[in-house]
Amino acid sequence: MNATSAIIHGAVYGTIICVVILTGIAVAIWFERKFAGRMQSRLGPTMTGPVGLLQPFADVVKLLQKEDIVPRDADRGLFDLAPPLAAIASLGAAAVVPWSPKIIAADLDVGVVFVLAIGGLMVVPTFMAGWASNNKFALIGAMRAVAQSVSYGVPLVLATMVPVVLAGSLSVSGIVGWQAQHHWFALWPIIPGLPAFLLYYLAMLAESNRIPFDIPEAESELVAGITTEYTGAKFTLFYMAEYVHTMVGSAVASALFFGGWDGPFRPGLHWMVLKTLLIFASVYWVRWSLVRFRSDQLMALCWKRLTPIGLGLVFVAAAFVQFWPGGAR
Amino acid sequence: MAVNGSGDGHKRLPVYDESELTYEHPLYGAMLSVPGLSVGVTSIDAILNWGVMNSLWVFPMATSCCGIELMAAAASRVDLDRMGTIVRATPRQAEVMVIAGTITVKMAPRVKALWDQMPEPKWAIAMGSCAISGDFYRNLYAVVPGIDTVLPVDVYVPGCPPNPEALMHGLLRLKEKVALRRAGKLPPRDDRPDRLQVTKPSVARFLDPARDPAIDEQQVESALHATDTDRSDEPAAGEERASAEPPEPIASSQPSDLEALLRDEFGVAETAPKDGAPVVAVERHVALARRLRGMGYEIFTYVVATHFPEKTGKAPAPERFELAYAVRSVGKGSKVASWRLKLAPGEAAPSLVGVYAGADWQEREQWDLVGVRFAGHPDLRRIMMPENWDGHPLRKDYPADKACPPWR
Amino acid sequence: MEMSARVERAVMTMNEPQVVTVQYQSAVRGNVDPHLSIRHYDPEADMMLLHFGPQHPSTHGVFRMDLHLDGEIVVKATPYVGYLHRAVEKLCEKLSYVQQTPIVDKNDYVAPMTNEQALNMAFEKLLNVEVPRRARWMRTLFAELQRIASHLLALGTFSIDLGGALGGGSTLFIHTFRERELILDLFEEVTGMRFHYNTHTIGGQRHDLPAGFDKKVHAALDIIESRIPEYAKMTVDNAIFKDRTVGVGVLDGKLALELGITGPILRASGVDHDLRRDAPYSAYDELVPRVRVETAGDCYARTRVRFDEVTDSIALCRKAIDGMPEGPINGYKPIRQPTMAKATSGQVYVGIETPRGELGTFVVAGGDTPTSPHRLKIRSPSLHALAAIPYIMPGATVSDAVAILGSLDPIMGEVDR
Repeated sequence: MNATSAIIHGAVYGTIICVVILTGIAVAIWFERKFAGRMQSRLGPTMTGPVGLLQPFADVVKLLQKEDIVPRDADRGLFDLAPPLAAIASLGAAAVVPWSPKIIAADLDVGVVFVLAIGGLMVVPTFMAGWASNNKFALIGAMRAVAQSVSYGVPLVLATMVPVVLAGSLSVSGIVGWQAQHHWFALWPIIPGLPAFLLYYLAMLAESNRIPFDIPEAESELVAGITTEYTGAKFTLFYMAEYVHTMVGSAVASALFFGGWDGPFRPGLHWMVLKTLLIFASVYWVRWSLVRFRSDQLMALCWKRLTPIGLGLVFVAAAFVQFWPGGAR
Repeated sequence: MAVNGSGDGHKRLPVYDESELTYEHPLYGAMLSVPGLSVGVTSIDAILNWGVMNSLWVFPMATSCCGIELMAAAASRVDLDRMGTIVRATPRQAEVMVIAGTITVKMAPRVKALWDQMPEPKWAIAMGSCAISGDFYRNLYAVVPGIDTVLPVDVYVPGCPPNPEALMHGLLRLKEKVALRRAGKLPPRDDRPDRLQVTKPSVARFLDPARDPAIDEQQVESALHATDTDRSDEPAAGEERASAEPPEPIASSQPSDLEALLRDEFGVAETAPKDGAPVVAVERHVALARRLRGMGYEIFTYVVATHFPEKTGKAPAPERFELAYAVRSVGKGSKVASWRLKLAPGEAAPSLVGVYAGADWQEREQWDLVGVRFAGHPDLRRIMMPENWDGHPLRKDYPADKACPPWR
Repeated sequence: MEMSARVERAVMTMNEPQVVTVQYQSAVRGNVDPHLSIRHYDPEADMMLLHFGPQHPSTHGVFRMDLHLDGEIVVKATPYVGYLHRAVEKLCEKLSYVQQTPIVDKNDYVAPMTNEQALNMAFEKLLNVEVPRRARWMRTLFAELQRIASHLLALGTFSIDLGGALGGGSTLFIHTFRERELILDLFEEVTGMRFHYNTHTIGGQRHDLPAGFDKKVHAALDIIESRIPEYAKMTVDNAIFKDRTVGVGVLDGKLALELGITGPILRASGVDHDLRRDAPYSAYDELVPRVRVETAGDCYARTRVRFDEVTDSIALCRKAIDGMPEGPINGYKPIRQPTMAKATSGQVYVGIETPRGELGTFVVAGGDTPTSPHRLKIRSPSLHALAAIPYIMPGATVSDAVAILGSLDPIMGEVDR
């Protein structure tokens, strides 16, 4: 594949994947509201479109029309730049996710590093938003977000190192391919595969600010956290970035730990989508069941529990590769 | 359900000039200006309107009882989420401000500030009689007689409090109103279609042409400095507050008969007068409180100041203030020990803050509402009324319906 | 602990040489001086002033705290009340004795039944009216049903404070509201209103129990009781919930007494005091309630006390409805006109145990008009509870501040009146 065709391939698939993800996000928001409604013995949206399916679209159409207010003392440039940056950073990681053996925007050799780096970038627009709003609630939210993202980056990296060590590849599609030939890492080796997935899952919840780790936008404490001053279209971008971040995180999880597009009967796109959506739904299951941690407890959990566990898992993975008969490549 | 507005030619006030309020997104104007696009504008407009109609997010301006019903409306029995309504905590991301509950003169500037922070297009629902007209607090010094004296209300939901179902109904009526927002040529708020049962606002005061324009300026001014009026952590210039004396340890003593204690130690002649608690000399009062606390009366229950205005005629009596105190013992057979102080106008009562920490706020309240000074109180400032309030409302000569510009 | 040290630095005074210590989680009187101006705090601490309220999702109404923060740690908290001061006491001076019941309903709008009861009991004492036995039992039944409803709401709103309106907190909140509606339905059947019942009058009750009411009470209580284990899983037995509440906002029992705090907050601080048992009124001499006491004094203990009281109140309600005596429901002459109750002199105080503590009514009779009080003061438990904030907030984080405020369960209508 020469450079030109790679660019065309990336552009075409990238566009398709972005469009599909963004549409999927709309459905996902609908799903979450219905799901939360059912958990709370309510109905959720019913009046907009069939079974309320058009609700997210109505929300977006409305939000785009809202007046765009920039606080007088806000840092105008950063304030405007943060939302699109958040959207880009959250969508960017989707580039290296293999949705099927063929559907992948950019099959990088260092895909895992790319995912982690782009995911880590999310902290920049978050802090920009909090700082530029010139609002104390937003500032506290931004401080919390930075502390949280930086801390939880460590267990996240350690958790992704486990499949990397086991498969001996930094390419996401390479890891999926290795799993397809052998076994899924969450199924075998049970240790460290499954604990690594759980670790990844917790770190992903923290990275995408989901309950019980949603302290940066804890709306009972900080009104709306970093988005307190954002209206209309800019808020929409943040709102969607959050969902995209979770969605891409789920997709990476299913690729790294659950064999991606691999599955019994007919491997392919449908398996990847199914796994991603299941993990995605579980995030909301957790979200609507638990209360949130306090920020210092969050840090304690990260540095005192999850990070040592993550280190241990990487060692176990290395030992597995080295000593298990057939485990070594 | 009634919808605000009428076309009977009231003069518009500059604060809420409707022509400025009808917000139009710049994109919308741009679309209209492109010749080719203007053909499709009607359908685009329908889509845009559909979006707003079906996604009315609520900012809960919940102050009192109606706020509980607002919460109940979001709960499972009524479920506002069915019509796509979710509750946002920040005014920046909401369309509808639901004013649920009584708005006081102290709160009104904040409500106005929050309303100004909401992005257009926006609507207001007055939920409950207090928000509509002030209800039975209407003619009292502290309450704004209807939130439509502060901001333009679109839908009134009557009730005390309205059922959650009624709020849902109100939101559905608002939806109808939104649907007509751009029917034809951007109708101003006044031109409401007949089918929405156009009625006048319940309080015409805001639209009253005779109203002094200075009041509106004051309104705007106070909305701009919402939280500055009572930042009272700092003492006023030149007045240094007395610092709290460290509480002396209180010697515990055996509980004895209250009447005997009052008679023998505190020289109270009449230990059970007909018209209330025994009257204690002002200077012995702190000692009595200490003694009682040592005896096991550990809960500070109340302090009440009463104003007895000057009486002329058959039974003349000079103006005076009376303070009634009570403390309570803990545990089985809990008893209240109470006593009274009689004060001349202007005379200060010794503060009990050194004995009971709970006296702090209670004495502040009595100072604020009745105007009795407490000597030795470390922080005697208003607690209920705004810092710049004039007078003490619970005095008998204070008119209950005193006006407080600009809010009433 | 490092956090503790930072707070200590921040409150070092300029005038005095010694350090004013603010303990990290608890602060008894003497360690915290709520009146010490922020000017006397360390000028180099670089603190931030956060206006928390009056309109904030978790201030439970219109209440404002000025939090001086060092990082996220509260160094000084100054509460401000009065944003809902509706001049109820002035209004009561204008109205006659029989007109006042619907006014006080709106004070503690989460437990209106007990408001009415406190007011009318004071008037009965003033006018020397005997309440018939059935009316006293009905009052007890209503008060206990109201206690269940109020505690359910407190539990729900507290979990929203901890878990957010878009998360697990709201799930529990909506579930407790679902059960609260059952009790509101019962009251609606008796009085015609969901709240603001206006059913207590001088001398007894206005509305008798409808036929078949006991079956409905039992049915509703059965449903609520069956769902209590579910709540326990989400709150008092939940690990994250415990992490957030245990050891947070510790209120010393002695300080609580001194501040005049009563009710579940006082009992959570280890003081065995409940007016229902200690100074029985209505039918509590026959239906003796179980008094729950916790010793920790933290947010968890306060929630635990309320949680357990729901169970106790369910049992008490069952006893009250089963043993409901027959007889008249009003011991006073029938109300024909608003000016019929007259008192020329006297001062009375009656305090009862509401879901929030001792709610009392102090009436000074006489004055210009014998048909209305000269002065009426409502002693509200929530006002006393909020007075604890300057003492227990320092050292907590912003998240804790929300939890502490939620666990105090203030009702601003009652605080400001």
